[in-house]
Amino acid sequence: MKKIVRIDMSDLSVRTEPLPEKWSRYGGRALTDAIVFSEVPPTADPLGPENKLVFAPGILGGTTAPNGGRLSAGAKSPLTGGIKESNSGGQAAHALAKLGIAALVIEGAPADKDARYLIKVAADGSVELKRVDEWAGAGNYAVSDGIKQMMGDVKRYATISIGPAGEMGMKMAGIAVSDPDGYPNRFLGRGGLGAVMGSKGVKAIVLVDEGLPTVEHADRDAFNAAVKKFAAALREHAVTGQGLPTYGTNVLANIINEAGGYPTRNFSSGRFELVENISGETQREVTLERGGNVKHGCHTGCVIQCSRYWVDKDGNYVTKGPEYESVWSLGADCGIGDLDDVAALDRACGDIGIDTIETGVMLGVYMDSGRLAFGDGKGALRLLEEEIRKGTDLGRILGDGAEATGKAFDVKRIPVVKHQGLPAYDPRPIQGIGVTYATSPMGADHTAGYSITANVLNVGGTVDPLKPDGQAELSKGLQIATGMLDSMGMCIFVAFAVLDIPEAFDAIFEMATAHTGQAWDADALMELGKETLTMERLYNEAIGFKPEDDRLPRFFYEEKLPPHDAVFSVSDADLDSVFDFVPETAAKMGVSKPGA
Amino acid sequence: MRVELALFASLRRYLPEGETGHERTIDLPDGTTVGQVIAMLGLPDEPRVVFVNGRHAPDDHVLRDGDRLAVFPPVAGG
Repeated sequence: MKKIVRIDMSDLSVRTEPLPEKWSRYGGRALTDAIVFSEVPPTADPLGPENKLVFAPGILGGTTAPNGGRLSAGAKSPLTGGIKESNSGGQAAHALAKLGIAALVIEGAPADKDARYLIKVAADGSVELKRVDEWAGAGNYAVSDGIKQMMGDVKRYATISIGPAGEMGMKMAGIAVSDPDGYPNRFLGRGGLGAVMGSKGVKAIVLVDEGLPTVEHADRDAFNAAVKKFAAALREHAVTGQGLPTYGTNVLANIINEAGGYPTRNFSSGRFELVENISGETQREVTLERGGNVKHGCHTGCVIQCSRYWVDKDGNYVTKGPEYESVWSLGADCGIGDLDDVAALDRACGDIGIDTIETGVMLGVYMDSGRLAFGDGKGALRLLEEEIRKGTDLGRILGDGAEATGKAFDVKRIPVVKHQGLPAYDPRPIQGIGVTYATSPMGADHTAGYSITANVLNVGGTVDPLKPDGQAELSKGLQIATGMLDSMGMCIFVAFAVLDIPEAFDAIFEMATAHTGQAWDADALMELGKETLTMERLYNEAIGFKPEDDRLPRFFYEEKLPPHDAVFSVSDADLDSVFDFVPETAAKMGVSKPGA
Repeated sequence: MRVELALFASLRRYLPEGETGHERTIDLPDGTTVGQVIAMLGLPDEPRVVFVNGRHAPDDHVLRDGDRLAVFPPVAGG
């Protein structure tokens, strides 16, 4: 029986309850959404005791389902002010699932603001809260070392932790999750959930899964058959079988730049003249020359293996990846064309505990104010280490992200939607992703509906990226599918194969059916995606989000972006059509507004 | 006519012998199509993404003097 474990930081009590029947078909994003939707008042202060921080593995977490070990974290976001699901790789999702935990819910807030707690869930399921006040202000890597010492002979465990930014309540603070080698380098980056964790006095969580088997299946033979089918599809598809494992996510740099949609120097151009210096091809060559690792999974059971480690000139580990989004945000968007500079910034973000996307967008905005030159990698690093890490007055403004920084320093071009910085694709020459940025309940988020597939990559069909036609429909379908994948606990990169290989899609509901014993089919998968999005939309509506919030900043409609001189031209009516299914789904679910 | 050619990721090795990097300028007869350049280079017969001047182009697209032709194998990320 799956359980929900609740830890109330107001009185340090721990309660365990069975997963309610009404949520028995939920996991991952659907479950974090359901708990926030039902239990966190829309009026709650994101950093107050009414907010709840929920960690949930997906429906397939803890199994051998290929790429099925993603972790969802949910709460009301201090950055967007809306509901948030942030998603990460790393080992924590599998550990939670093996412990029988469908959701770990951190509630309340401690009276003593100086208290720091470590939550340890032992392999027998017992929960211990330990004071770790001496870790106040420590970076994620130091916390990871501290946990390692504390654990002694216990070697199999996953960690979830925050750096100083989360403790200080900065709105771009993320949560670090340990990878298979124990490095705290996988991130629940977006939406400031690190600040929520900090507001609860929780510095770290350790999940011990030593000696625990993978979770049991309703029908083991059918499950294994579906796993085989799914893995074969992932290996067969050129993207998941070759492109991603060979070059990593940053293989995208050149193609997005070629398409003219690589936002450069705070979204003032769609091409970066130094892209070759920071491309995935260069990253692979340099990493191999220096003896770094260029192919591993971010969690056990990944068959795509797009992760890698960046090492310095002496071969010492610096950080993971860096991933495409981070190389873009900390590189091109800041006019920085040096991978060592980018890696140093990525490492600082990881240790301080701040989202690399929001940090890069913030730095680009700050540079646009004229206070730091575009291209000044050392200056950018100084801002992170000397201002943000130390929580100076300037650091606290920068630490609240791109919008706070842009407003403080009177910058005209502030690339945010719902207060969250835009990722690595300009929505003018790639209009489908603009629809996702504008309409996603998450705020500007590429992963919410990755229209780059059909717009640029010719995966899952083709839709002309420079025209408004068909973009709303494309984004809608992808957002629904993503809601489903995030709830299954699957890496969204499986979509590249799923969109092109019908058997791969079938294998998902075959795995879900064989694992849970519940009936799943294609329609049920799509319903799961719709229910997830419906809870998010209704929650945001209750907060007060309006159609006007589902728009891009004006400059994307007015300023022409070179080289295509494109502006965003998808109509408001098209944007407003994306969530046309919500009333019908809400009626089927029997819900109309947040609450029990 | 002269066309700028760029090959990316696993296709870089198909640049003509003796070339390094991933870009070069090539001389072509007027009226050459994208498909003819791909055949000339001996690129593998698999799905690929082709841009001419930053816009997707089919194999029968006729190149013009000064164009930039960029060819990618199937890639994705994010």
